[in-house]
Parts: sequence; structure tokens; C-alpha cells
Amino acid sequence: MPPIRTRSSLVPWVIKYRPRRIDEVVNQDQAKKILVPWIKSWLAGRKPEKRAALLHGPPGVGKTSLVEAIAGEFSLEVVELNASDYRRRSDIERIVGAAARKRSMFKKGVLILLDEVDGINPREDAGGIEALVSIIKTTDNPIIMTANDPWKDFLRPLRDVSIMVEFKPLTLTQLVSLLQRICDAEKLECEREALRYIAERSEGDVRAAINDLQAVAQGYGRVTISIVREVVRGREKSVDIWRTLNQVFYKPRYAWIARKAVSQSEKDYEELLAWINDNLPRKYGEPGDVFRAWDALARATTFLNRAKFGGRWELLSYVFDLMGAGVAYARQEGEVLKARYSYPEKIRLLAQLRAKREVREKLAEILAKRVLTSKSTVKNEVLPILSAIFKNAKDPTKPAQIALAYGLDEKMIEYLAGPQKHEIVRAIALLKKARAQEKSKVEGKSSKKPSRRGKEQKKTQRNVGLDFYF
Amino acid sequence: MSSALELLWVEKYRPKSLDDIVNQKEVVERLKVFVKERNMPHLLFAGPPGTGKTTAAHALAHDLFGEGYRQFMLELNASDERGINVIREKVKEFARSRTPGDIPFKIVLLDEADNMTSDAQQALRRLMELYSSVTRFILIANYPSKIIDPIQSRCAFFRFQPLRKEDVVERLRFILENEGVDYDEGALDAIYEISEGDMRKAINVLQAASYIGRVTVDQVYRVVGMAKPKEVRDMLNAAISGDFTTARSMLRKIMIEYGMSGEDVARQLHRELFSSDVKMPEEMRVLAADYLGEVHFRLVEGSDDDIQLSAFLAWLAMMSKRLGV
Repeated sequence: MPPIRTRSSLVPWVIKYRPRRIDEVVNQDQAKKILVPWIKSWLAGRKPEKRAALLHGPPGVGKTSLVEAIAGEFSLEVVELNASDYRRRSDIERIVGAAARKRSMFKKGVLILLDEVDGINPREDAGGIEALVSIIKTTDNPIIMTANDPWKDFLRPLRDVSIMVEFKPLTLTQLVSLLQRICDAEKLECEREALRYIAERSEGDVRAAINDLQAVAQGYGRVTISIVREVVRGREKSVDIWRTLNQVFYKPRYAWIARKAVSQSEKDYEELLAWINDNLPRKYGEPGDVFRAWDALARATTFLNRAKFGGRWELLSYVFDLMGAGVAYARQEGEVLKARYSYPEKIRLLAQLRAKREVREKLAEILAKRVLTSKSTVKNEVLPILSAIFKNAKDPTKPAQIALAYGLDEKMIEYLAGPQKHEIVRAIALLKKARAQEKSKVEGKSSKKPSRRGKEQKKTQRNVGLDFYF
Repeated sequence: MSSALELLWVEKYRPKSLDDIVNQKEVVERLKVFVKERNMPHLLFAGPPGTGKTTAAHALAHDLFGEGYRQFMLELNASDERGINVIREKVKEFARSRTPGDIPFKIVLLDEADNMTSDAQQALRRLMELYSSVTRFILIANYPSKIIDPIQSRCAFFRFQPLRKEDVVERLRFILENEGVDYDEGALDAIYEISEGDMRKAINVLQAASYIGRVTVDQVYRVVGMAKPKEVRDMLNAAISGDFTTARSMLRKIMIEYGMSGEDVARQLHRELFSSDVKMPEEMRVLAADYLGEVHFRLVEGSDDDIQLSAFLAWLAMMSKRLGV
């Protein structure tokens, strides 16, 4: 890590502390052993058999950094193209094709860097991959591509013409000592425990870890565990769920990654279940995949339930197995669909559902006592009939009379009558008025303030929604 | 407009006294003896739904204790109470209060007792013994075979016969005439067929039909159709035709609009599974029942209903694709 110090806090540390030499790239010796000789062979004027290299590994492990460090040390000009910006056949032929034949004016050579080739959409960007393959076969300059997931089917033609270079996530120790070096360089007071926490959260992603460190350091001037817990967690919340979902739906290479994605998420397991439950149909399309995924999810909730109510918390482990790895590996036939993730509807609807159920339960309780049967019989037999009456009666007076007889409140009437509710409420108001008049006729002779009474009646009529009980 | 209140006819036309009960003659005669003697043993009423078991129990209590009989009767429903411990507490509390004037006991009415597990029934038996000096139990069950022997042997057994068609039709006619509603004779036959001899169902359907207009056969079937949410069937058919997304949003709609629990939906699904209105290969019905049974079991255990039922819908969509429906 170069001890260069700039006063400016505007420079993102990920750029400020980007490795400048090959040996500063941490933990990728295996990758260097393949990539460096390959480049040297180009520079020696011997074009290697495979003229492209495909660097793959999770985000933030140093793929691009290594390429830049190599370019720096061997004095190569980097032509960087983001594959997801130029994806159509014509774009690729024009732009990448030109770079492939380019000669550098000032440096020893040209190196083409194509980022995120796994972002190419094989359906929408038809012909893009083929175009790339034919350029690779004839290129005059080395082409280096990066991908998070190089094992997608449509990338096969690219794999065939490239050397494959794997990048591994950094270990916790490596990450912590890297963060420590930055702290030292910045003359920052850093608690070891805080750095560990940042490193753990990042899951081997150097970029994410350094960004977190910078956020805490510049926001608070020191890096302590208590601050980190607050800041890192709070900031991650919105980000984390997308990453978790990606690691589940995009079937990682190893089952444990999908498992870890859910077991270490910021969201608790119930919320996660809701997220996965709601996004499943947006991401999986093949009926077989959809079923296997839901079956796994259903088993996960079963285990969750057993863990919760039996107090057997060790079963929670199986919940993560099934909702993470189970859902990830359920996808065996189709591709992941393009749709965006959505916020779980269920969490929003749950309150609504609970309110509805409460009304139904109260109705059942009232009626069970009067009809002399169980609440469940009322729910399954009596309420449907009653609802038919409330919705379809020719004369709303009938349901209104029933509502009054059983002291049903407005919510209950709405439950039974749906859109007919208003007519019934109106009928109830009229009934009440009639009853009041009958009553006043009886009391009529003794009553000395008939006008007041009339006013009161109007009031009752207006308040009828809140005044059902009698 | 009449400002009179309207009761559900099942309540309004429920016989109040044993003398008002026109059918179940043999049962009624035996019960009247208890009224005459001002004493009774524990009773077990068994028979199909809607044949008057609960009504008879109330009528008996009414004739024993008079109008205010309900204060001397603890009404429990085994399918609504949360376990035997709750029942025990309630009975204990109830047994503590005073007994009415000349009758030395009060009545514990336990409806749907056959829904109790045999363990709970064992506990119930001890309860019956413990409080036998101040209480009498009336147990009501659809299936007496599900009541454990030690309880059966402690009770006087009353079997309620399925209602005959004449009994039901006559009662319906009586109600209609009393209400001044026009009707076709055929409609009453139709109601009997639909309700399968269940008086409660029959009267409910009658009341609903009478509010729509003249009670005709068509009207009766319309009411029955309205009371049966079609959505469950539509949801099933959507899933089977491979439109899983629609099926799933219908599931949510059903649960939210009707406030139905997952178990309710599972029950409804099961009812439709073998219906000819649900189009699927016959061999698939059996497999579907098997999977639904597993889902239902998990729901009973308390598992998340939306996820479990979605899994079932996903299963249907997959199977129908595999079988080429």
C-alpha cells in the first residue's frame, strides 16, 4: 500500500489506495501466475494461443485493479470499455474492433479491458457474443474481460477462446490488515474490532470494506466498534437486501454462499422469507424451477415454525439451508428473469389481512352465541350465506334489520356487504329514525321540546357510522 | 317501512321448549322424563349436523330452569376452546357459583366434543367425575365413535336421526307462511337436496333466497352459488392452466377479502380437488390431494399460509405442464 497522502478528503479511498504495483494486489498470486506470463508473451511479440483472458470472481476482489497494475508496470495503454454499454453486435464490431487494431502512440502497447461481460443479455443483445469471439480470434492487442459469474451458458463461446483466471475473495485477516494499513496511512484511530466488523460485513469485497471505512472515518474522525455498528448497519440496510437476493436467485457456484447470504443478512429471517416469497415469481419462470423453489421455501417456513414453537432454535439452521441454498439450487431449467426486485407486498398486506380476520372473528363470536354453533361453523357456513344476503337482498332494509338485531358495526357490515355497504348503512339510519319517531310518539305528549328532538335526530343520522350499537 | 328487527331465521325459528320440537320424537320423550324428575345423568347427543342436538340441549335446559336458563348453563365448543386446560378453568369457575333453587346441578354443554383428542377426553372424564355433584355434562358429537369408551359409559346416549325430507320441507313451509313469502313447492325440495338434511343449512338458504324475491328452484341455486366463493375454483383452474402469477394474486385476494385463514383455503381447495369443474387428469387429483394434505398439515402446525399455499399452486402449475394439461 503506497503511503502517498493527499489532504483532499474528496478522493475516494478506493482510488487513493488502489494498488499501483502487481505485488500490492492482495491474495491473487494464483491469478498473477497465469496473467503475468500471458502478458509477457504478448510483449515479447509472441501472440498466445488464446488472445483473451477472462478474469472472474466476486466483486471487489481486485480484478480491475490487477489489470491496471499490470498496465502500469509494463507501460501499457488501457482502453477500457464497459461491456454493458456496448452490447449490440454493431457497437462491438465498431468500438472493440477498432481497439483491437489500435497502436499506442506513447506506450509499449495497448491493453483492452472489457468489464462485466456477464452483463451482456444473450436475448436482447443478439450477436454480441459472436462478434466478440471473432474479434478475439484476430485481435492484435490483448483483451482482458471481467465477470462475476463466468459460468453462464451464453458465455461458453467466450470461455472457449479465453484463458480463465479465477480471483478469490480476500480472507478476513487479509482484509483487516489492509484496512489497518489505510488507518495507519490516514493517521486514524482504529479499533481492531471495528475493522473486523467492517471486514466481516464486506464478505471479502475490498471495495465495499474501504468505502465503509472511509464513511466512518470521515463522518466521525475515529473508527470504533460502536460507531461502526451504527453506521455500517444503517447504511447497508437498503443495499444489503439486493445483494442477498442476488446471491440467492443467481445461483452461486457453491451452495454455502447462498446459505450464507441469508444467514448473515441484516434482515431477519421472517422478513427475508417475505422478500424471497414475493420476488420468486419475478425471477424464476420455468414451472419446474418455480415449484422446486417454493417447495424449498415452504419447507423453510415449516422448520422455522418448528424452531419457534418448540423452542428448538437449532432447527433455524435448516431454515437458512432451504431458503438460501434450497431456493438457489431449485433453478435447474431456466434463466433468471430480468424483472426488478420489488418490496414485499405481503408485509404491506399483512396489516390489512389482520384487520379483516379480526372482523371475521368478531362476527363469528357474536353469531356463534346466537345461532348456537361453533365459530368455525359460523365462519364456514353462516357467514357465506349472510354475505349473500347482505350483497344481494332486493331491499336493503332486511340486512339493515339484521345488522341492528345483532349489533353489527360498520366494519362487519362492510365485510359482509362489500360495495353494498352504503345502501345498508343508509337503511340503518332510516330504521333508527323510524324507531326514534315511534319512541317519541309514545313519549310525545310529555315531550316539550319537539324542535330540539328533530335536531338530535339529524345528528344521529349523520353520525350513524359510529353509532351502531344500541 | 317496518323498523322491527330481523333475526336470522335459524335463531328466530329455533324451538325454545322440548314441546316445540316436532321431530326426534323418541329422543324428546326421553328428555321430557328428566324435566319431570328434575334430575338427569350426563348426556351424550350424537348425530349428523343440523339434526337438532344443540337445540334439544338448550330446550332441555330451558324446560328445567325456565327463561333465564342460560345463566345455569356453561356453553363450550370444543373446536373453539384452546385446549383442555382452558376448559378445565372455565368448568372450575362455573362449578363454584351457586346452583339454582330446586335443582341441585348446573349444566355444562360441550359442543363438538368429538373434535377433542383422546388425551383431552381423558382429562374431560376426570373433570366430569370431579364436579359430578354440582354439574351435569351434555356432550354433543357428530361421530360418537370418536368419543372414548370411559366417557360413553358414563353418559346416557341419545342418537339423533337424520331428518326426513317431510320434516324439513314442512318446517320450511311453516316458516315461509309465517313470513308471508311466496314460493314454489319445488324450491323446498331443492333446498332439502342441497342441505342434505341439515336444518340449519336449509333455513339459512331459505332466508337468503326469500330476500331476493319469490322462492323458486332457480333462486335457491343462485343463493347457494353466491355463498360459495367461486374464487377458490378459479384460482385452482388458473394454476392448472399454467397461469401461476394470476393464481397467486387470486390467493392473496381470497385471503384478504374474505379474511380466510390458510386452513380455510386448504379446506376449500380440498373440496374442489375432485370436482368436475376443475379440469385436470384424474391421476393428478390424487397426487394433488397428497401434496395438499402435507401443506394442510404444515398449516395446522402453524406454518406461513401464503408460502405454503403458493407452493401448492406452483406444484399444480408444474404438474399440469409435465402432464401436458
